[in-house]
Amino acid sequence: MNGIGIDITEVKRIQELSRRHKEFLSRVYTPREIEFCAKKKNKYQHLAARFAAKESVLKALGTGWSGRIGWTDVEVVNDRWGRPGVNTHGRVKEIVKERRIKKILISLSHCRDYAVACAQIVS
Amino acid sequence: MDDKKICEKVRMCIAQALGIDVEEVVPDAILFDDLGAESLDLLDIVFRLEKTFGIQIPRGGIQSSVLASEGVKEEDLVKDGILTPFGRERLKKEMPEVNPARIPEGFRAEDVATLFTVQTFINLAKRHLAAKEGKGA
Repeated sequence: MNGIGIDITEVKRIQELSRRHKEFLSRVYTPREIEFCAKKKNKYQHLAARFAAKESVLKALGTGWSGRIGWTDVEVVNDRWGRPGVNTHGRVKEIVKERRIKKILISLSHCRDYAVACAQIVS
Repeated sequence: MDDKKICEKVRMCIAQALGIDVEEVVPDAILFDDLGAESLDLLDIVFRLEKTFGIQIPRGGIQSSVLASEGVKEEDLVKDGILTPFGRERLKKEMPEVNPARIPEGFRAEDVATLFTVQTFINLAKRHLAAKEGKGA
C-alpha cells in the first residue's frame, strides 16, 4: 500500500486552542512533542506543524474514520540533525503492521501564520 | 437534561467555536459547507461539548462511538481508504441525520467529517449523556 497526504494548519488556531482548552496539548500531543516544542521560541509554529503532520499521516493512511485512533497515535520525532520522522503508537501502529508499511516519510514547513506537512506511505 | 436543552447548548457551543450567530446554527446545517468549519474547529467544538456536558469524546468518536465496540472489523468497513458497501450502509445507519445521497459508492473514509451536521453533534451529545447517565448508548 502506498499513499500520500497533505495538511495545512493555521498557527493562530493552535495558539487559541491551547489557551482556551487546557486539555488540548495533552490530548493531541505526546509528552515528547510538547517538550520539544516548548523549548522553541516559536513553539506554536512547531505545534501547528505537528498537528498538520498528524492529519497528513491519517490522510495518507486513508483511515480518518476509526474511533480507535487517538491524536497521539501519530508522533513526530526529530533525529539528532533535527530532521522529522514519524513514530506510531496504538491503533496506527497496528495498521502499519497489518499493511506491512515499511516507512512513513514526513516533511514539515512553517512560517508565522501557517504550517504544512506532507506524509508519504512507503510499502 | 431534556432534548431541547441539549440542542440549545450544542448550538451555542458550535456558534461560539465558529464565531457565528447561533441563529445560523440550525440542525441540518453542514459544518464544513454551510458554516465554514475547518478540522480544527471540530476539535474546538468537541472540547466545548465535553466541558458543557461533562462527557469525554474520543477522536473519531464524532460520527459514532459504537463502531469500534460492536465487533465490527475495520477491514469490513473500509478497503483501500474507500467505504465498502457494508461500511456505507453502516454509516447511513449510524448517521441518520445525513442525506444518504451524500454517501455514494466510492466515498472515502477520510471524508466522513465533511458529512457532519449540527444534528450530528446533537446526537453525539445525547448518546454520551445517555451513556454517562447509565441509560446505555
